[in-house]
Amino acid sequence: MNLRIRRLGVVLSVLYLVLFLQLNRVQFFGAERLQDDVNNTRGLIREFGRERGPIITADGVLVAQSVEYDGSVDFRREYPEGELYAHITGYQSLNVEAVGLERSYNDELAGDPIDQRFASLGDLFADRNSTATLTLSIRDDVQRVAAEALGDRKGSVVALDPRTGEIIALWTFPSFDPNPLADPDGTVANAAFDALVADPNTQLLAKSYREIYFPGSTFKLVTAAAGVETGLIGASTPVFPVATTYEPVPAGAPIRNFAGSACGGDLVELLRVSCNTAFSEIGAEWVGPEQMVTAAEAFGFNADLGIDLPGAAESRFPTDYGEQLADVDRYRAPDQQPAEGAETVLPNGAVPVHENSARLAQTSIGQNDVAATPLQMALVAAAIANDGVVMTPHVVTELLAFDGSLLDRVEPEPLRVAMSASTAAILRDAMRVVAEEGTARNLLTEGVVVGGKTGTAQLGTTPPNSHAWIVGYAGMPNEQPSLAFAVIVEAQEGASEQTGGRVAAPIAQAVIEAAFN
Amino acid sequence: MTATESPPTHLVSPLLAMKPRRVETGLLVMVGVAVAVAYGLASFGTNDAIPANLGPFLLWMFGLGAVAHLANRHFASAADPVFLPISLLLNGLGYVVITRLDGSLAALQSTWTAIGIGGYIATLLFLPRVRVIEQYRYLLGVGGLLLLMIPLVPGLGTEINGARIWASVGPINFQPGEFAKLTLAAFFAGYLVDSRELLRSRLELRDLAPIGIAWAGSLGVMVFQRDLGSSLLFFTLFVVVLWVASERWVVLAVGAVLFFAGAFAAWTMFDHVQKRVDIWLDPFADPKGDGFQIVEGSFALADGGLTGTGLGQGEPGRIPFAETDFIFAAIGEELGLAGSAAVLMAFLLLIGSGLRVSLRADRVFEKLFALGLTTLLAVQTFVIVGGVLRIVPLTGITLPFVSYGGSSLVANYVLLALLVRMSHEQRVSIRPAKGTA
Repeated sequence: MNLRIRRLGVVLSVLYLVLFLQLNRVQFFGAERLQDDVNNTRGLIREFGRERGPIITADGVLVAQSVEYDGSVDFRREYPEGELYAHITGYQSLNVEAVGLERSYNDELAGDPIDQRFASLGDLFADRNSTATLTLSIRDDVQRVAAEALGDRKGSVVALDPRTGEIIALWTFPSFDPNPLADPDGTVANAAFDALVADPNTQLLAKSYREIYFPGSTFKLVTAAAGVETGLIGASTPVFPVATTYEPVPAGAPIRNFAGSACGGDLVELLRVSCNTAFSEIGAEWVGPEQMVTAAEAFGFNADLGIDLPGAAESRFPTDYGEQLADVDRYRAPDQQPAEGAETVLPNGAVPVHENSARLAQTSIGQNDVAATPLQMALVAAAIANDGVVMTPHVVTELLAFDGSLLDRVEPEPLRVAMSASTAAILRDAMRVVAEEGTARNLLTEGVVVGGKTGTAQLGTTPPNSHAWIVGYAGMPNEQPSLAFAVIVEAQEGASEQTGGRVAAPIAQAVIEAAFN
Repeated sequence: MTATESPPTHLVSPLLAMKPRRVETGLLVMVGVAVAVAYGLASFGTNDAIPANLGPFLLWMFGLGAVAHLANRHFASAADPVFLPISLLLNGLGYVVITRLDGSLAALQSTWTAIGIGGYIATLLFLPRVRVIEQYRYLLGVGGLLLLMIPLVPGLGTEINGARIWASVGPINFQPGEFAKLTLAAFFAGYLVDSRELLRSRLELRDLAPIGIAWAGSLGVMVFQRDLGSSLLFFTLFVVVLWVASERWVVLAVGAVLFFAGAFAAWTMFDHVQKRVDIWLDPFADPKGDGFQIVEGSFALADGGLTGTGLGQGEPGRIPFAETDFIFAAIGEELGLAGSAAVLMAFLLLIGSGLRVSLRADRVFEKLFALGLTTLLAVQTFVIVGGVLRIVPLTGITLPFVSYGGSSLVANYVLLALLVRMSHEQRVSIRPAKGTA
């Protein structure tokens, strides 16, 4: 019998060896795979329940903090200002992926980076609170005014310092209350999320930088910049003939001015009245596809803007205009030639036309497939305000340690050069004229120099609806502008070129007033 | 071998060269320190504070250990010194993890531990020789069957979590099956002492009838009580003991055939069995539903890694039944591979010591009884740890000494006492007992 008992001992040893090997597989060799499993929420909950640093506006308003929680986790996130900062702070949730700063600055808020954890030798031995406090460039007073001025109309307000790229206000209506999403009870958070998604009066998406819209006439600033950059167009020369229609070459859909009106004149005048026909011609025939694409991309189109918030949308400027055509005149009907006795010489055909120059005529006035985020359009104004240099937009300016000492400062960083300083100066002056004598008169603010450009992006609906736009800058007299902005109010009734100035400009004006008082 | 042959000397543990109770004292002190430190750490990890009741806890624990040790000194002075310290280590570690998971269960578990130690001492006290049991073998067999049937009696039996294995008398719930394991092991051993010679000399179909009966009984447990784990345990116990007694491989072969036939029949007939097998094959098919427990258990073990999250610092509470069926995963999470492997090693030491008792026994009854008891311990541990680790389909049984559960704890302490008693008996035969006997 003892032989059998020994054999049993061997069998049991083998069985336990199998257990031991499998234990090694689960706990060591295969552990990483299990930890990365989509169903494994352990890391998530651990991460979720940790203390994180607070987020504070430039003027000291607390917009996110960790509070001790009595339950499944040690801490939960709280957003004292609710909707007002939801699209900036985002939220940290158990059920859905974090968004906003909670995501992009996750490691710093949680205190994970090595330099935060081991600032000094002593930290190797002590368990110190290594979470970082984020200081925002957002000014609570301006943010609040932006939200109030937009009211309950769908839209976005973006205001930033063109010299540094620091965002001063970033608001989208509707917004949402991030607090229930941060509930440590997964079912509560889930229900809150579903309710938010189902509710037409809330908006989880931070449209100010994550949604793209037809920019309408505000895009003419880009075309104007490209035109001036060719060296052929200045502020006062050439003078474009007054026209009601632009016939693209080769033949395509004709471009008309609003309500069949006629317009023409020098660049300043063209911007003042937002002349479709002339800007189509500038884009299609003076600048050409290659330079238009280059100009749009120099402002940030078709690329990441480098904002420190996650999930930003890329603005879009079409790049395909077909093959270059050799002989222009062949396609040009006699009645398309400049009227005899016109005041100026038009070097038509400064660039060779392309197969699809008709499309370029549309994209040059912000139609066709052009689409931009409100942030992008604010950066167009900011580049003009900042001598042509687009600064990388950001909302975080400083990271502070738990004891208040400075961990890191976000230095202003040029993103792109959109145009030369002289081109920027020409456009600044022209935009000032638009504000003082043109469609953007509602911007005028006492004691502040302002420039702007309105836009009305028709949506082709019946009855006609349009996105009302205003972009522009503001600054103290004889100083470089310190504010650039873009405001969009979505789907407003009407389709007149006045809509942008009537609806959007007063909101921008309120923001200017708040920023400069 | 014959029953009178004396054990070969190489079976003598090196520890036996020393005075076994002195060795046991040393081991117990180490176990005490380890468990006390673990208790403090777990509390510190959970509440950031040294537990207020650390003093009373230590007194209680050291007290129980000391009493058990004194009982060994008086009633089983020559026994293998490994049994008691290892069991107390497993019990203590389990208690620490239960405390960390659920304080109210811990209070109950400490009471059960005391009752278990009481049962251990009582067994040593009232059972001077294990052979006494042999004459009651049929009584014990019938008793075991009756114990198994108690949960089926209306008014007494209670179904908890799908298994009808509980008996309720007033406020007290217990699992009679835990004690039936012991009496059935005694019955099998006693029965085979009688029929062993017969089985060895010939093998006819009717001689295999006992296997068939055991098989039918196991199926009965599975069908009527829906308790897969115990069913497997009883059947394995019987086949193993019969195999060793008869020294015939055909027993294993027939046992294996019957096992797979029964398993297949159960799989085709019962939804809950099919579900268990499906979960075993692919727990990730329904990670939030059916597979949740085993998936969470795997995640817990993975989180533990090599060295664990630290006691009180993990989240074993996420695993359903972490304090009973899945306590091994909870240990693996907080103590890491180091801790879970140590638990496996502890069981291997217990099993090794148990098998040594069986090897060294000079009477057939003791040999088969010790073998049966050790097999129970080994198979039960393998089935639950293997279930957690997805080596075998999961069946809800306790991890001996570690899991929360009064019946299991008390029954295992009695099992331990029986092994210790037999160990003592064989060793006094080679070592002169000290003093008067």
